[in-house]
Amino acid sequence: MSSVIKQREPSRLPSKTDAELDRISNLPGHVIDQILSRLPIRDAVRSSVLSRKWRYKWATIPCLVFDNQCFDVSSQDQTFIKNKLVNIIDHVLLLHNGSIHKFKLSHRDLLGVTDIDRWILCISRSSIKEFVLEIWKGQRYKPPSCLFSCQSLIHLELFNCLLKPPLTFRGFKNLKSLDLQHITITQDVFEKLISSCPSLERLTLMNFTGVTHLVIDAPNLQFFDIGGIFEDVSFLNTFHLALVSIGLYVNIDNDENDARDNSSKLLRFFVNLPHIRRLEIQSYFLKYLAMGYVPSRLPNPCVDLNHLSIRIDFDDLDENTAALCLLRSCPNLQELEMLARPEEQASMERSTNFWEDDHWSSLFAHLRMVKVLGISGVKSEMDFIKFLLSNSPVLEQLTVKPVSQEGEWELMKELLRFRRASIYAEIIYLDP
Amino acid sequence: MSEVDMAVTKPEMMKSYIWLQTADGSIQQVEQEVAMFCPMICHEVIQKGLGSSKNYAISLPQRVNPAMLSLILDYCRFHQVPGRSNKERKSFDEKFIRMDTKRLCELTSAADSLQLKPLVDLTSRALARIIEGKSPEEIREIFHLPDDLTEEEKLEPLKNTTDDPRIRLLNRLYAKKRKELKERQKLKNVEVEEERVDDRSVDDLLSFINGDGGDSKGIKTSKSKKKNRRRKDQQKSTSTNEAIKNHNKELNGLNSVCCSVEIGQKSWSGVGASSNLHDVEDDIFASKNELDDGEIDDEIDPALKEKIDREVEDFARRLNSDWPERMQEILSFGHERKPVHFSLNGNGSLRRYASM
Repeated sequence: MSSVIKQREPSRLPSKTDAELDRISNLPGHVIDQILSRLPIRDAVRSSVLSRKWRYKWATIPCLVFDNQCFDVSSQDQTFIKNKLVNIIDHVLLLHNGSIHKFKLSHRDLLGVTDIDRWILCISRSSIKEFVLEIWKGQRYKPPSCLFSCQSLIHLELFNCLLKPPLTFRGFKNLKSLDLQHITITQDVFEKLISSCPSLERLTLMNFTGVTHLVIDAPNLQFFDIGGIFEDVSFLNTFHLALVSIGLYVNIDNDENDARDNSSKLLRFFVNLPHIRRLEIQSYFLKYLAMGYVPSRLPNPCVDLNHLSIRIDFDDLDENTAALCLLRSCPNLQELEMLARPEEQASMERSTNFWEDDHWSSLFAHLRMVKVLGISGVKSEMDFIKFLLSNSPVLEQLTVKPVSQEGEWELMKELLRFRRASIYAEIIYLDP
Repeated sequence: MSEVDMAVTKPEMMKSYIWLQTADGSIQQVEQEVAMFCPMICHEVIQKGLGSSKNYAISLPQRVNPAMLSLILDYCRFHQVPGRSNKERKSFDEKFIRMDTKRLCELTSAADSLQLKPLVDLTSRALARIIEGKSPEEIREIFHLPDDLTEEEKLEPLKNTTDDPRIRLLNRLYAKKRKELKERQKLKNVEVEEERVDDRSVDDLLSFINGDGGDSKGIKTSKSKKKNRRRKDQQKSTSTNEAIKNHNKELNGLNSVCCSVEIGQKSWSGVGASSNLHDVEDDIFASKNELDDGEIDDEIDPALKEKIDREVEDFARRLNSDWPERMQEILSFGHERKPVHFSLNGNGSLRRYASM
């Protein structure tokens, strides 16, 4: 009976069969880099103790991600956690050997500003392509000037930062994707930033301070997602813009603006979006679009628009007018989503009979899926659904979801009665 | 086959094939659209015109053996069909990747040599999933890696590929550490007599510093101290810098040492070659704690006492002059920490540098 040796001797010479069995250590460097890059940083670095061959393999991984999963936190002491994090990042950056293509720093307890400055300086020297920095707590962090000299950047993502590039900043020539959330930036810095990044394809901007007039001059822009408080938005030179999602987080008062400005926000908005494919109008943005003159339909229909989502107050006349104009201007619409917005105060011009009238001279020829969510069963809402059902000959699915259980039965009973132009139409009722 | 011949053959035969030869010499033919899915094969066909007949078969890289080739071709056969949905592809991939680790590694290697990037991505992800969350022993087990790093080797200096001052500094730190390891080895062989003498001076210094010179507390504990002494052969090296630093830490608060030991042990032990530094140091500190009671030997004769006094003065002088300079030197690459502040906040890393 041989005893089972559970403990391996520390320096056993590798036998021949072992060397044959070990298939992974001799994979090419770039493949090992790929494998290690997909591991959390902790596991990747720990691979250095596996065997002699593995000691330095981790040091060339192109991708460094430091986030909440970085290390196990057994203590609640914030200073301790922060110091440990600083310690870890310093070590990894010091022992890393090779260029860093992706760097992400997003940890709850990250605070030390000078530390981050130091790390950004370190990685700005190594042709970084993707940089993500999320400051969870504390005031807006101002990245050092060296960040703005990283011409190899393709993706930049900042959360809770203050952007103030140096005067010598000439833009990011290779930047394709920019994601700025909870940032402070001045009007001209913003405009300069956008217009000096010629390759920009994706722009996300959420909760920004310091910019009131959004002027987007980006010839290659394809994706635009914005949510915040602003007074004006205009697109210049955005021929390729296909996906736009805009949310205006502040309720604007239409009456004030009527007298001043008779130009049409709606027209101005769409004039430079000839190829828009997907549009999401959120929060109070429809109210913004309803400012000024609203035509019955757009001069150039949005032929590529196949998905439209609108947050609307069905009782507001201006908003209804704007929505109708839009609906008339997208002949190839396939998916429509109407989200009812509960209104806090009654606006001056309430209309409850808007959708009753027969506005329609053409049909929703391609509309297949519709969702109407957050309704409470008021007349204007039901009129709209009725209008929709009788004008969509190829409709496949209408999903309705009320905001509360109140009046559920009445709502359903009414829904049953509506005529449907499409024989394939299913009405799906979702519980609130 | 001339053009004329091809014209009279049946329509089914018109499907074009590519001839591939693996390293072991066997040749097979594969449908063109399937084989062309691999960039390397595509390149050979287009650039060099190979693969059209048995004699001009494309020789595949050595890493592609027939078994792997058939797997790869299965993959290509599925994915080259344009009409498949993403869901279908994902589902196929998940089933496809279910194989033992050895084959997975071979497949990665083969796919890489054929430049088939999507398959390399898929297999890399699978391998990463296998490695993730496992301990080094488990990983060695799975991949048959030899455990050929000795304790000392883990402290070996990093290859100084660039003349990076930071690397040089680290090498210096490791060299010091190795030297200290050797000293420890030597001291283990020293006789008990010598131990006792050294021990006394250390203890006395401590008790002197802690202000317990010759009180009853010390007298009571002398017996237990002798027992502990034998285990504490690590800190005999008053001659090395190590001792000074250790004493320094005592000065700065016994509590912080206690805390930092725990922190040190729990701290992230994965940073490259320095992982064992922690363990080595923690040993020192753990045993250091036992000295904290401020024990003194109650049998001090006057001559010895004088010697002790002189040593204390010497020690104090060294503390005040040498220490800050040494710290400055070590931290000269630009951390903004004052030389005297260390171990107060239980910062594991600082200790590591400090002890060098």
